[in-house]
Amino acid sequence: MNLKNISIALTVLVFGVIAMLFMQKGNYVNQAKEHYDATTAKSFKGNSMVLELVNNGIEMNKQTWAIACGALQTVKNSQDMARLEAKFFPATKGSNSIANKTRRFEASSANVIVSTFAKVEEDKKTGVKSLAGLQSVDVSVLLGKAVASAESDEGADEEGADEE
Amino acid sequence: MDKKKMKILVVVDVVILVALIIILMSLKGGYEEQAKRTANEQESAYLEKNSQVLVEQWRSVDQYSMAWKLVYSMLSGAKTEAAFNSNLAAIEGDKDARFKQISHLYTGAGINDAVQNGIFQKAGLAEGSILVKNDKNVKDVACGKNCVVKFSFAKGKLKNVDYSALVQYNLANSLKIEKPAEYHFE
Repeated sequence: MNLKNISIALTVLVFGVIAMLFMQKGNYVNQAKEHYDATTAKSFKGNSMVLELVNNGIEMNKQTWAIACGALQTVKNSQDMARLEAKFFPATKGSNSIANKTRRFEASSANVIVSTFAKVEEDKKTGVKSLAGLQSVDVSVLLGKAVASAESDEGADEEGADEE
Repeated sequence: MDKKKMKILVVVDVVILVALIIILMSLKGGYEEQAKRTANEQESAYLEKNSQVLVEQWRSVDQYSMAWKLVYSMLSGAKTEAAFNSNLAAIEGDKDARFKQISHLYTGAGINDAVQNGIFQKAGLAEGSILVKNDKNVKDVACGKNCVVKFSFAKGKLKNVDYSALVQYNLANSLKIEKPAEYHFE
């Protein structure tokens, strides 16, 4: 009777070990899969974010460059400049500094251009001052050389004159 | 079942059990090593593929930045073929300025210095010249992936700059991070 119990127990044990034999592979595969999934998901998320942020950065950057280069080809006065800015950034307006004869356009802190004009003109009927005779467009901020300081002198700002 | 058969069954069970335990122990190490190795190999391959996309993006931004700088230089300065050649050489040769311009765009986009440096270590700057076509009257300049700016000259004077490709530049159409494939135990 005792021998019978032992043989039954041993047979059960044999089947148990056979089951373990098949299960152990599955365990290691699952562990490896978990590690792979976690690592690759982190990489996918992080790199996709970098790719997207840079692509978004290019969107704003290229439009600011387009204003700077377009201005060199077509702009004569601050009204023309305002129209060009509105074409690319309808919601963002540049501001004139009558004292410095400059117009600053800031799409974001990294995308700034400053145009310099030759003279100040005044509308005789309305008395509104504007800038005329584009001389240069400073793109040093776009080149990463400097952070352009705000030069707008609020008192002399005739921004309203440039709106269409 | 008689006692003799029981004895035989016990002996056979013990032999099978010992054999199974030996097999179990020997396979255990093999499976563990194989699972770790295949997971590491597939992870490395995926991570490398992803980083290559960012490397390509970085180099494209370098070409894009140089192209804008060249267009700006030609529109704001002397409009001659000689000026084009000297501007191009100066822009391509100033590697510090190139890095600064790329880095400025990345910083503005919200990418921190550590990530930028990680990409720069692998990518460096775009190799070769951005001047991809150098005919007498037409010069094509690469401005990133699938982007070309055309400078037209007549008798050594700049006639036209077509930089519409730069204004429409969109890397989202050409560079993508692929989702990881399923892990497979080989």
